Amino acid sequence: MSKSNSSSFIWLPVVIVIGLFCFAPQVVSAYRLELLTIFLINVILAQSYRLMTTTGDWTLCHYILMGVGAYATGILAKKFGVPFYAAMPLAAVITVGVSLILALPLSRTIGFAFFIASFALGEFIRHVWLKFHTPFGGARGVNGIPKLEIGQQGDWYFIDFWDSTNFYFFTLIFTVLALLVLYRIDRSRVGNAWKSIYADSELCESIGINVTRYRVLIFCVAGFFAGIAGSLLAYQVGSIDPHNFEMVEMVYLIIWVVVGGVKTYWGPLIGVFSMSLVFELARPLQEWRPLLFGLILILFLVFMPGGLETLLPRIKSFFLGLVGKKEVR
Amino acid sequence: MSFFSVKGLSKHFGGLVANNSIDLDVEKGEIRGVIGPNGAGKTTFFNVVSGFYTPTSGTVEFKGKVISGLHSSKIAKLGAVRTFQRAALFPEFTVLENVIIARHLNADTSLLNAIFRHNTKAEAGNLARSKEIIEFLGLKDEQDNLALNLSHGHQRVLGVAMALATEPELLMLDEPVAGMNSSEKAVMVGLIKKIRDTWGITVLLVEHDMKTVMSLCDKITVLDFGEKLAEGLPEEIINNDKVIEAYLGADDIVA
Amino acid sequence: MGFETFVQTFANALVLGSIYAMVAVGLALAFGVMQMANFSHGELFMAGAYVVYVLYSLVGLPFLVAVVAAFPIVALIGMLFERVLFRPTRGNVLSGFMATAGAGFIMQVLVGQQWGVGLMRSVVVPYKGSAEILGAAISWQRLVIIPATIIMVGGLWFFLKKVKAGKGLRACAQDPEAAVLQGISLNKMTSLAMLLSGGFAGVSGALMAPIIPVTPYMGHVYGVTAFIVVIVGGMASIEGAVLAAFILGFIHTFISTVYDSVTATMVGVLFMAIVLVVKPTGLLGNVKV
Repeated sequence: MSKSNSSSFIWLPVVIVIGLFCFAPQVVSAYRLELLTIFLINVILAQSYRLMTTTGDWTLCHYILMGVGAYATGILAKKFGVPFYAAMPLAAVITVGVSLILALPLSRTIGFAFFIASFALGEFIRHVWLKFHTPFGGARGVNGIPKLEIGQQGDWYFIDFWDSTNFYFFTLIFTVLALLVLYRIDRSRVGNAWKSIYADSELCESIGINVTRYRVLIFCVAGFFAGIAGSLLAYQVGSIDPHNFEMVEMVYLIIWVVVGGVKTYWGPLIGVFSMSLVFELARPLQEWRPLLFGLILILFLVFMPGGLETLLPRIKSFFLGLVGKKEVR
Repeated sequence: MSFFSVKGLSKHFGGLVANNSIDLDVEKGEIRGVIGPNGAGKTTFFNVVSGFYTPTSGTVEFKGKVISGLHSSKIAKLGAVRTFQRAALFPEFTVLENVIIARHLNADTSLLNAIFRHNTKAEAGNLARSKEIIEFLGLKDEQDNLALNLSHGHQRVLGVAMALATEPELLMLDEPVAGMNSSEKAVMVGLIKKIRDTWGITVLLVEHDMKTVMSLCDKITVLDFGEKLAEGLPEEIINNDKVIEAYLGADDIVA
Repeated sequence: MGFETFVQTFANALVLGSIYAMVAVGLALAFGVMQMANFSHGELFMAGAYVVYVLYSLVGLPFLVAVVAAFPIVALIGMLFERVLFRPTRGNVLSGFMATAGAGFIMQVLVGQQWGVGLMRSVVVPYKGSAEILGAAISWQRLVIIPATIIMVGGLWFFLKKVKAGKGLRACAQDPEAAVLQGISLNKMTSLAMLLSGGFAGVSGALMAPIIPVTPYMGHVYGVTAFIVVIVGGMASIEGAVLAAFILGFIHTFISTVYDSVTATMVGVLFMAIVLVVKPTGLLGNVKV
């Protein structure tokens, strides 16, 4: 239920940001552009994870779901030569299927047990990748995933994806679309039903919202977008293995959303952006980087539990407090 | 066949018998009160008939259909909806948004509609109906306030508004006047009567407050030690020796 | 599987189950008293191994002294965790859990920077040779873990049942509010719980130092296993943790021997998932988390 007066205020910055991203290939190096592509993929991942948390169900297997999408894409594209326009949707559907299977036992648990159980089931999937050489390639993973292709050399509609700029724009389109769809879902009746489950699941049951069904549904929707992100990742990096989807990566994802906050739609975007920036700036201190991120995580959890998204309202109420006014809602 | 019928309902928790083979029939359009001293098993009874607990034995039938053992959400879908003793609401949404969320059963809840918003007609209808319910219950002035900022009395009324938003045929109220002052109680009693008289909705309520039950209900069922002690019109109940005995020592008869 | 292999595997399972038990009881105790879970319990285990590496391998103190020293040193780290991470986030189990994840990162980096990243620190085996039991040879170094566990866990049991402070811990675990009303200081009890939790993890790591490669990341597997053990046993139940530790020890050892370690981990995780679905409170637990 968005307020119409605030939406016009929001769209201008959004257009400016998209414009900046379109302009980026003009000014940054090819290496930086690949980092930006990864960043865009991470945006999809973080925003879909934020959706997941709206019912209060934090998971520890979102990264694994991304891996499912990546593995599905890699295997389909490499072993079966499936073109991207079939491989990507198929990968997303497969990820939704896996999400559904995971959600059935998970929906029997809540809170911390849900969190831990999701981790255990995720590790189970990761060990499946490690164990079965066909088709997952064991510890070495799937290598040499073909670049996606649109047309052949000579076709008028041919796009050369060996050029990282083209893949960057390809990813940008998906990111913008995903963000748009996730925004609509967040503001929809279904989105509000999820938030209501977080607020009071008994009340939801009493007014006819089937809580279990909706918790399974959100897991699948979040899984869908994680699958898309994984699919893009597989095409971007060309090779994937079980170590890409270890717990450490999941902790980084959690750091993004903790730093940004999950209450508003914008929190995770702020989080991924600021933390990716810190990550790149800290590149010279490579070995010390986990320590830095560990510190950041702790400082935010202890001193700013709502994340950066609460910063503006806090500053506002601080200054209003200085002039002796009470904040009006 | 009664509109709402409980047959031989028992609920045990381990060795504890909270409800023991209770029978109860409610006719359409009736306001029925279920009372009893503390620990009589009222709350358990209410949770069983509203689908929050599964009965150990016995059945609950609504419009000829067995509803015991079904999910609460399913029972709501069939047209029997409950409220809560506590102020149950979605605190960070406005009053109007709370009621609109409660129109879940009458809305297009598909993901496609969530993304494309093509079904604007249904949503417009939900908005209009939500406003109607809010006005009917006298919450219009609070419509745009966050639910968490309401007074306790208004929060309880909002609970009823959300239940009504599901368009029920049977409204089950769990201690509707608990924790209210006397003027809030009077308002709530008036609203419950109005809901039945205007919209013909059957009401089943569990209540501790005798005065409210006496002035509101067409018929009263008294529970004691998990069993049905008496049933009848308010004047019969108030003169029933067994009921007086059960309440003796308890300070709250006609409190 | 021949008889000798069976005896060998059985003994190995007992040893592994003992280590799991020692690591997991600390986690269960801390969860019971604080209602908070320590993601970096495995890093406390790692710290214990490094105490042995430094005091025994580098400084040259006797192995036993190094193992005993691991208890107070790692216990202090545990208390630090409680003071800095758990107390500010008390009541929010997810926040505390994530904060300790951050602390784990910090510990891994600090240890790695001080003593090298990714290098396999070999700690010379202090108890050489092996015992012959029913035709199978089991090294003394492993075998010594079983009596150590009996002493440690038995000591904990005695402490919780007979000593006043231990009774206070149990009171807090059952009903923190009632415990506070009886004049028990909640802060003191949570601090004590993390002290014991750290000490137990430290000693387990210390005992394992000569057996497994000592690296900054060695704790991860043990931390994860401890969580699985504690969930299977029932989050706050010490008895449950011990029972589940041996079940997991046997599952891991036997399946590793017959198939491979990846399969063993998978079966362990699957076992936990089944327990969660069938009995979400764990084998011996009664609190749903």
